[in-house]
Amino acid sequence: MTGKEAGGGRGRILGWLALVFVAVGLYFALIHAPPDANQGDVQRIMYIHIPSILTAYLSFFIVFVGSCLYLWKRERRDDILAKSAAEIGVLFTALTIIEGSIWGKPTWGVWWTWDARLTLTAILLMIFVGYLMLRSLIEDEERAAVSGAIVGIIGFLDIPLIHMSVYWWRTLHQPPSILRPDKAPWDNVHPAMLIALAINFVAFLLLYFYLLSLRIRVGDTEDRIRREALAGAA
Amino acid sequence: MGKWGFVLLAYGIVWSAILAYLFHLKSRIRKAEAKLTQVKSKGSGVKHAS
Repeated sequence: MTGKEAGGGRGRILGWLALVFVAVGLYFALIHAPPDANQGDVQRIMYIHIPSILTAYLSFFIVFVGSCLYLWKRERRDDILAKSAAEIGVLFTALTIIEGSIWGKPTWGVWWTWDARLTLTAILLMIFVGYLMLRSLIEDEERAAVSGAIVGIIGFLDIPLIHMSVYWWRTLHQPPSILRPDKAPWDNVHPAMLIALAINFVAFLLLYFYLLSLRIRVGDTEDRIRREALAGAA
Repeated sequence: MGKWGFVLLAYGIVWSAILAYLFHLKSRIRKAEAKLTQVKSKGSGVKHAS
C-alpha cells in the first residue's frame, strides 16, 4: 500500500465509517444495553475493554507477520507496516490496562493486582515500548529494522500466554464469559449486550485500520525523505 | 465515585487518547509531506545547477 492510496479516498471512507460505528457503538454500549445483573452499570466498560485488547492482539499479529516478511524478503514496506502496527498496538494495550484498572477498582476493590493476565499484559506493553525505543536508538535503518523484527516476533509470543493465563493459573481475572467452550454466547450473555459488543468491536477494527493507514503514510513519507536525501547527497 | 463515574472516566480517557493520537498522526503527515517537498525541490535545484 502506498502512502497516497492509504490516505486517499478509501482512507477517508474508512475514517467516516469508523466514526459512524463509534457513534452507534456508544449508543448501544451506554444506553441500549442493559446493566449487568451483578456488576450493574460499571460492566459497560467491557464494551471498550474487549475490543481494545483484541485490536492490540491484531496489531501485534501484524507486527509478527510484517517482521517475518521483512527478515525473509528485506522489503522496506514490510518493516514500515510492522513499525506502524507496533506503535498503534502500544496505544491499544496501554488503553486496555487503563480501562481494566478503572473497571477493577469498583469490581475487585483495587486499581492493580499482580494477577497473571494483568502482569503478562503489562509485560507485552513493556516489550513493545522497548521495541519502539530500540528502533529510535539505532541510527542505521536496516539494523534498526532487523533488531525490531526480532523483538517483534519474540514479543508476539506473549499473546498466547496472556490468553491461556486464566486457564493455567488461579487468577483474579475471570475466564472468558462469551467465548466459553461449554456454552454458546447467546446462552450466557443478554443478546443486547452481545450486539453492543459486536458493534463496538467493528468500530475499533475500522478505527484501527484507519489509524494504521495514516501511520503507514507517515512511515512511507519519512522513507521517501531519506531516499531523496541520500540520492541528493550521492 | 459512583459506577457511572468509573464508566465515564474509562470512556473519556479512551476516546480522548485515540483522538489525540489521530490528530498527532495528521500533524506528522503534514510535517513529513512538507519536508519531502522541500527535499525534492532542493534535489531538483542541485540537478539543474549541475
